[in-house]
Amino acid sequence: MAAAILITFLVRRPALEGTTKLWLLMGIGVFPIATAATANVSGFAATQSRTFCGSCHVMIPHASDSNDPHSTSLSAIHARSDQFGHDNCYTCHKDYGMYGYVLTKMGGMRHVYLYLTKYHSMPLEEAKHDIRVVSPVPNENCMSCHTTTAPGWNKVPDHASALSDVRKGALSCASPGCHGYAHPYTKLGKELPAK
Amino acid sequence: MKLRLPSTERLLRAACVLALVALPLMVWSIVDPTVWPVLVALSLGQAIGTLSLLLFLVAVARDLGLRAKLRK
Repeated sequence: MAAAILITFLVRRPALEGTTKLWLLMGIGVFPIATAATANVSGFAATQSRTFCGSCHVMIPHASDSNDPHSTSLSAIHARSDQFGHDNCYTCHKDYGMYGYVLTKMGGMRHVYLYLTKYHSMPLEEAKHDIRVVSPVPNENCMSCHTTTAPGWNKVPDHASALSDVRKGALSCASPGCHGYAHPYTKLGKELPAK
Repeated sequence: MKLRLPSTERLLRAACVLALVALPLMVWSIVDPTVWPVLVALSLGQAIGTLSLLLFLVAVARDLGLRAKLRK
């Protein structure tokens, strides 16, 4: 609709009278703003999907594991839950809190920058070895669903004994001895000391 | 040196051309929400679209004689 108005204006060159100005307001203002708003909403929704995360080749192993209905990794188990579904990467890795959405999107831009400048042509085998999560997923993210105040949670002896460390973040839920790493390709490095 | 703006007609034509460039970029991301269309729409598409709207607003301000009114 907007394109039709704009092309008509460019081709026919009508006099700049009231009606023309009104049409231009629709063609340059109202319709493009509506299109931009729709593109923003659908674009931001798309950036939360596993397909989007897995579209960078270095993330394919993680996304493929989540897609695998037979995988028993934490990420795959969560991907099979309706509450996570196709957005399981985002749901676990996002920042919770007041500015969580903005902070997560800023982190995503950092990923895009690093991918374009550093990892774009990195072979997958090298990426599997070299690329690490910048910081471990905080326990708060797990606790946003798995509340540590529920009686059922505290009935598990390991939970009860580690309650304080789990809440402080001193002991990661996704660590060996607890629930294991979230992904089969999780790597320990300098920035991820074993707990 | 005094900066002179193009005529209102030219501003509007430029705004139309820019909007015609921005619209497909934004629509592309809605139809195909993958990495490149979304990145292009949220950066280049938005920037060109905003520039187009700004040119339109300059034309409107000139039409309303805002500068003369502000001087008064």
